[in-house]
Amino acid sequence: MEENIVTVEDLHKTYGKDVLAVDGITFTVKKGEIFGFLGPNGAGKSTTIKILTTLLEKSSGKVTIDELDVDDDQAKVRRIIGYSSQEVGVDDDLTARENLLLQCSFHHIPKEKAKAKVEELLKTVRLAEAADRRLRTFSGGMRKRLDLASALVSEPKILFLDEPTTGLDPQSRQDIWEYIVRLNRQGMTIFLTTQYMEEADRLAGRLCIVDQGKIVAEGTPNELKAQIGADKITLHFKADDFSSCDKAKELMSKLPGIQEVGQCRDGLVSENGLTIMTKNGSSMVTQVVRAMDSAGINVEQLTLSAPTLDEVFLKLTGKTLNVVERKEAVGARGRRRR
Amino acid sequence: MMEMISEVGAIFMRWNKKLVRQPILIFFNLIQPLVWFLLFTQAFSAIGNIPTFQLLTGTSSYITFFTAAVIIQTIASSALNAGIGLVNDFDSGFMDKMRVAPINKSSILFGRLFSSALTTVVQVAIILVIGLALGVNIASGILGVIVIFVLAALFGIAWSGISLFVALNTKNAETTLSVGLLTTFPLLFLSASVMPTGLLPSWVQQVAKVNPFTYIAEAFQSLIIKGFVWTNIQNALIAILIVGVLSLGASILLFRRKIS
Repeated sequence: MEENIVTVEDLHKTYGKDVLAVDGITFTVKKGEIFGFLGPNGAGKSTTIKILTTLLEKSSGKVTIDELDVDDDQAKVRRIIGYSSQEVGVDDDLTARENLLLQCSFHHIPKEKAKAKVEELLKTVRLAEAADRRLRTFSGGMRKRLDLASALVSEPKILFLDEPTTGLDPQSRQDIWEYIVRLNRQGMTIFLTTQYMEEADRLAGRLCIVDQGKIVAEGTPNELKAQIGADKITLHFKADDFSSCDKAKELMSKLPGIQEVGQCRDGLVSENGLTIMTKNGSSMVTQVVRAMDSAGINVEQLTLSAPTLDEVFLKLTGKTLNVVERKEAVGARGRRRR
Repeated sequence: MMEMISEVGAIFMRWNKKLVRQPILIFFNLIQPLVWFLLFTQAFSAIGNIPTFQLLTGTSSYITFFTAAVIIQTIASSALNAGIGLVNDFDSGFMDKMRVAPINKSSILFGRLFSSALTTVVQVAIILVIGLALGVNIASGILGVIVIFVLAALFGIAWSGISLFVALNTKNAETTLSVGLLTTFPLLFLSASVMPTGLLPSWVQQVAKVNPFTYIAEAFQSLIIKGFVWTNIQNALIAILIVGVLSLGASILLFRRKIS
């Protein structure tokens, strides 16, 4: 029997009079899973996670964490959750060890027990050697790892991670991912928000795709990708060879088994290319190549790709998720820019 | 209750560590009071020759009289930082970290206030040492110095409440800083800090009567010039109590509402 640890019913959040940040969201998170909230900036992800972690008051709806109401049982909820914010809430003037010990005292963990726990956590996040260095000298990845550790001192039942890898370098991102997976294997439920489809795809057992305060799709990454129901074949032509592209498009739309042909002359695929959506992409490739060959059309490059969550997002919202990474998000000091 | 004491203790120690690691901050707040101490008292030293001044204050040394004003300026300037530290916590996300923890919200404020009071005492000690070097004599002796420290710490906590209130309302360091700076100077000049009440124009006397700086200044002045004048100490404590109840009450209420 799978039990729900988070239930959210018809959640609304309005800022001021008319800024609707969350517009009627309903979902549940099961005990022991990694649940992802995928969406672009401004989709309402942070607002939702702040309501779930009791940091923000909701406008309407019902939210429970482990059967506790976030409004009525606020204090009890805070005892069973861990939260790591986008801003990385650690104190840069303190050392890694001091930060964790401080967090322990916030959770009223007795001194001796706290010391042992901090040692253990420092080892787990591979900061044992840097334990007595002030955070000023830490990289973004190290600060984030420490922040994760500090969210764990209370041994929470569920861990909330708000964009855990935004602004991190690929190696640090890999580290954080491995760490999240390890925690989950040990039985911890994890709720994470992300704007990276790759992250959601890699980590989340189930996920919601959110846009403009609404859930536009929900399911496992594979279920969502199956909604697209097609593989993608991309053909690239010489940059100025538009006639080949036009000819190929005409040819392709007549080919049986092809669902959709899109022509691209903008930056989305290439300067000059075609995207072909089809079931059973691998067998279609040969047919496409043969057709091109017999018509004498010059193809520069051909790629076959399985659908990604980005295509799911594009299909559902008409927008692309491909975000330009915000390098400044977790700077050396992690201060939020105003 | 025990939990709250340990929470306040942990947050108090956090701020102390932060300060010790950036000792420049201790001196940063002292720059302005020190410039005043060294320059203002030189330029205005002739005030000490005015017979009425001598009669009203009991001293012919303006710098001795002015020491109280420098201490008050130090307290006010240190109190400013209480709010700014809080703004930084909001910005860095550390505040959210404390909020999701199962702690009493007032602990966050009290830990900050007590650390700020300790800083104030250290700064006042530095001012007094410099005063001694400049020839200021403290009539009430060591005990008097301790009373000065206690009053400075208490008034520091009460006055910090104002900066906390502005900080919580604006969540902006610049505004918190400028509100603090803009209030300190007029209040200093509209009180008995820089000139004994009897020498102030009558409208300023009226304002000085309701200005808490007057009562704090008079307590310090008497401890430095005369010795223990209990009415002055008592008046200072009453002023601190009124300011403290209002400013801290308002801050705590606002804080609880903003971050419940």
